[in-house]
Amino acid sequence: MTTTPSPRPDGSPPAAVEAVGLVKTYGSVRAVDGVSLRVEPGEVYGMLGPNGAGKTTFLRMLFGLIRPDSGTVRVFGRSWAESGVGVLEGVAGFIEAPRFYPYLTGRQNLEALALLDGGASRGRVEEVLGTVDLADRAHLKVGGYSYGMKQRLGVAASLLRDPRLLVLDEPANGLDPGGIRDMRALVKRLASGGLTVLLSSHHMDEVEEICDNVTIMARGAVAFHGSLPDLRALAPEPGHLLRTTDDVAAERLALARPDLRVGRDGDTLRVAGQRAATTGLVADLVAAGVGLLELTPTQTPLEELFFMLTDPAGTAPTGGAAA
Amino acid sequence: MSAAVRFELRKLAAQWRVRALLLAALLGPIPVALVMSAQANPPKDTLFGRFALDNGFALALMLLGFLGQWVLPLLTSVVAGDSFASEDQHGTWKTVLTRSTSRNRLFWAKVLVNLGLTTLVLVVLAASTIASALLVEGAPALTGLTGQLIAPGHALWLVAAAWLSVLPPLLGFTCLALLMSVWTRSSAAAIAVPVVLALAMQMLGSVGTLEPVRPFLLTTAFESWHGLLTDPRFTGPLLEGFVVSAAWAAVCLAGASFILHRRDITGG
Amino acid sequence: MRRVLIPVLVPTLALVLALAALTGLAFATNPGSTVTKARLERALPAVFAHVYVQEQRLAGRTGLTVADLDPVAMCDRGGPSVADTGPGSDWVCLMSWQDPEVPMPTEGYGKFELTVRSNDCFTASSPSKLVGYATMTDASGKTVTNPAYEFDGCFDPDTSNTPTGHTFPSLLSLTSTTAQVDASGHPQVQLGCGTGSDGCAGTLTATVATADGSTGRSLGSVPFDLAEEQVKTVTLPGRLRAGDSQVVVTLSTTTGVGSSSPATLAVQGATG
Ligand SMILES: Nc1ncnc2c1ncn2[C@@H]1O[C@H](COP(=O)(O)OP(=O)(O)OP(=O)(O)O)[C@@H](O)[C@H]1O
Ligand SMILES: [Mg+2]
Repeated sequence: MTTTPSPRPDGSPPAAVEAVGLVKTYGSVRAVDGVSLRVEPGEVYGMLGPNGAGKTTFLRMLFGLIRPDSGTVRVFGRSWAESGVGVLEGVAGFIEAPRFYPYLTGRQNLEALALLDGGASRGRVEEVLGTVDLADRAHLKVGGYSYGMKQRLGVAASLLRDPRLLVLDEPANGLDPGGIRDMRALVKRLASGGLTVLLSSHHMDEVEEICDNVTIMARGAVAFHGSLPDLRALAPEPGHLLRTTDDVAAERLALARPDLRVGRDGDTLRVAGQRAATTGLVADLVAAGVGLLELTPTQTPLEELFFMLTDPAGTAPTGGAAA
Repeated sequence: MSAAVRFELRKLAAQWRVRALLLAALLGPIPVALVMSAQANPPKDTLFGRFALDNGFALALMLLGFLGQWVLPLLTSVVAGDSFASEDQHGTWKTVLTRSTSRNRLFWAKVLVNLGLTTLVLVVLAASTIASALLVEGAPALTGLTGQLIAPGHALWLVAAAWLSVLPPLLGFTCLALLMSVWTRSSAAAIAVPVVLALAMQMLGSVGTLEPVRPFLLTTAFESWHGLLTDPRFTGPLLEGFVVSAAWAAVCLAGASFILHRRDITGG
Repeated sequence: MRRVLIPVLVPTLALVLALAALTGLAFATNPGSTVTKARLERALPAVFAHVYVQEQRLAGRTGLTVADLDPVAMCDRGGPSVADTGPGSDWVCLMSWQDPEVPMPTEGYGKFELTVRSNDCFTASSPSKLVGYATMTDASGKTVTNPAYEFDGCFDPDTSNTPTGHTFPSLLSLTSTTAQVDASGHPQVQLGCGTGSDGCAGTLTATVATADGSTGRSLGSVPFDLAEEQVKTVTLPGRLRAGDSQVVVTLSTTTGVGSSSPATLAVQGATG
């Protein structure tokens, strides 16, 4: 059934996921438009993109739920054409909201699904239920589960397969802040145990917090591809909004600093520059006797970059670091 | 394969509609037999109807003739029609197909489980109908379709054989319901269409001028047990019915498999 | 709504089309109906023998066996103009059998009416004259259903379809109860010819009835030739005169059977 994963020429193990030129169109919509990416074993890889970017479509092709129009995707060196469903050996995860049989309890769902993987011991089922903190609700029918509970059951069902690659499509979707924190902590913990994770997200902060490498998708295509440090380097300088007792004096002082760019956001003064430049300005204000009422960071730089990369009317990132 | 079969069995066992179906097959014949035996006039327009008020064997055979029209197709569609469509309804295709289970394996597991369940339902229904009919009306000698008298001991075997002889066309309807379940992705449609089709075929088959179509209809095989009750017995229609049912089943399953393999799983 | 309907309608329509195509194919390769004259002529006597013996048993007569009875039938569907094949409720079978206690009438058979279904089963109703009514009195004096009055049977569609060769003559009868006078004073009577092999032919002779029963004035004779299941009006050459109130009609057949004893009919209509 399964072919042995072919190692790469240099003898290193094959990539966990390797997509080459994947295309999927729905009518005139190019849902995925020539996406190539590579997830190395052991890393946490983020796919970031706004609604409709094609993240889910990409992951569906990875799981063989839909057939690409062209291009190939290999998982641990195996492709659908060669290995069929053997591609999914060692792979687990869920696409969009995880779904279960509503007439079975959470535990029964896991037990039934485990049958497909050759069965799981009772202890293992309890263990994964504990991991996602569902042990006390596992006796209830899934039909009555909340969105977040189903999301966690989805993670549990994936862990039950003891995967080497975990694929999560917007795992934090629908979770409360506590749930989001737990989910991120869980992913980090799993990753530290050597698991490869490919996750999609809308949120730059999520990717920033847990991912090593990232692909930013927009309208089916890759807008950025690289490590987080590379991404950060692309980000514009952090901006701040400034309110002082004497805005006129403050503006003059800010303009006097060559390492700061100054603008206005309505009535409020807006400065952008490296951290040292901003703190320097604050020292200048204090020295000049100008009272500082408020110093608020604008959007985080990566978020700003995200919007720039994915906004249809997006402009190239500005600022020193990108230049 | 066995893993997927056990998975399907586990799900079926937890569904109320499966339990309700088995319960209906087990208990339904009792009130029917009681009501029939209380009728004033025998329903002479159905075969064996003229003896149905005072002969349990005749009642069991009359009910067989009557049930074949649409009740049997309904019984099998209720679960088979839901089989694939419910995965769409619950959005669980992706749940199972992301677990190293090929579509092929899942498809055949569902087919096997549904064929098995239909067989079980028929056996339960047959046993319950024959038992209720005999208990309510007794077991005198039966007048066969050549007018011959059949001793009760022999009649029991013939009636049981007649009931079992509808299994091939019934399984044909199971496959039809499975096809509709894959194709329409709607339980309601996959349950209704085979029943409506059964009625339509029944009607087509009874129109004199459409007689050439009869051999190809699934419902014709529901009547092939007649030859068991004549003297001498004839089995040509039973064999023909078996071949026709197998052909229907094969075409339906091939179609269903083709559609399932080609489709994109995007819902859920 | 469209999203729900289309995935359901397309497969349903496809199935209906497939069924229609199947129908077309079936007609193209039409092997002909399994319901045939020859098969019924074999099946009906087989069933009848059993139910008749059952009836006689109920009545207390033992000793009569199916083999003794040796029934023979001739079947016909819907008269000479309808092909003798296919299901329908217009099948008629003539059957004779050997029961020393119930001899056949002069024509030599009883007439059975059959409803034959496309599933190769039929319901037959028997001639009451020979078989009795729906209920009967059994040996112990109880009223029971007569098993031979109306009965079901099925036949093997794969059995021999070679003609049995059994034929029975048509039964010729006077179907009018009066002699109608036409405009020019000729009396007219109606003849009916029943199901049978060759129809009815012969001569009809009529005389004016006399009060003392002697042979009256001749009204002449007319030859007739009727197909089976045909009714025909025959006009006599002689004229009736005022005061002629009855005519005596005598039938003699060369084909078919009929009572040869004279029948007296009242004259109806103006006589000149
Ligand atoms: N089954 C489908 N039929 C038609 N169009 C589809 C289908 N699935 C996806 N699309 C289109 O493909 C594009 C990409 O959708 P996809 O679901 O992959 O985006 P996504 O990045 O996962 O978005 P989200 O963040 O909202 O989940 C969208 O324009 C969507 O409308
Ligand atoms: Mg998505």
